[in-house]
Amino acid sequence: MDPKLRKIYVPMSETAFYILFSLQKPQHGYGIGLDVKEITNNEVSISPGTMYGTLSKMEKDGLIELLKEEEKRKIYQLTPLGNEILQIELNRIKRLYINSIGEEYYG
Amino acid sequence: MAKTKTKMKIFTIADYEKEEKWLESKHAEGWKLTKVVFPVFYVFEQTTPEKIIYKLEFNEEEVTEDYLKMYQDYGWEFFGSHVGWNYFRKLESEIMDESDKEIFSDNESKVEMVDKVFKSRMLPLLIVFFVAFLPQMSQLDRNIFGSSDIIFAIIYLILFVLYVSLLVYCGIKLIKMKRDLENK
Repeated sequence: MDPKLRKIYVPMSETAFYILFSLQKPQHGYGIGLDVKEITNNEVSISPGTMYGTLSKMEKDGLIELLKEEEKRKIYQLTPLGNEILQIELNRIKRLYINSIGEEYYG
Repeated sequence: MAKTKTKMKIFTIADYEKEEKWLESKHAEGWKLTKVVFPVFYVFEQTTPEKIIYKLEFNEEEVTEDYLKMYQDYGWEFFGSHVGWNYFRKLESEIMDESDKEIFSDNESKVEMVDKVFKSRMLPLLIVFFVAFLPQMSQLDRNIFGSSDIIFAIIYLILFVLYVSLLVYCGIKLIKMKRDLENK
């Protein structure tokens, strides 16, 4: 992986994490926003400016790709690169969590 | 046809939050913004007084259909662009929680917008200052006494002071906004 991308996305912001996490299945921006609200019990919300900007950046960086456009909404999905970065981040968070509760982490 | 009125008002590139508040107070008085005419004219149309949130987004990229659709999905009405600023509004009664009031949900994206304003508005002004205003100034210095250009020189000096004040005001304000956001 491009070290530059690693620097940008590992570790990543909560917004970026939930967008990638949600894009494991195809979804459009507003739909991602709703998904994230639901899984975080309304504690994380992503506003349209932030959503649009982050999606555009991730598409440019090759983490997500445009699948189709439906009723003027762009539907995106994770690319293999996006998935790789998501897994790195998930492992980092798992390690963080396991260490924080005093257990040992074995990768 | 509804009654309209036009107001002249100057907001600098660093005063967009003030402009939002002003538009909100106008709408609460029953005047809804219909368009902004270059450079400083605001056209209002009479309407029922309502509590509305106004938001300005600096975005010089082309306003595309999918961009507008996303804002619309989030409940924002787009009603025009003016020199790089996109104007949005939303009924306050449609707001469920604090996050619905914002078009940017994290500080990073707010800082990014301040940076964009700085890069595409402040930098050109600074460049004009150094390549046009300053060299001209040294020219003046030589001719100012006993020259018939004295009126020109005075006008020039007034413009110079205005220009510098505007640069300093916007520069300091944008930097302060950025610092406040980063320290939040």
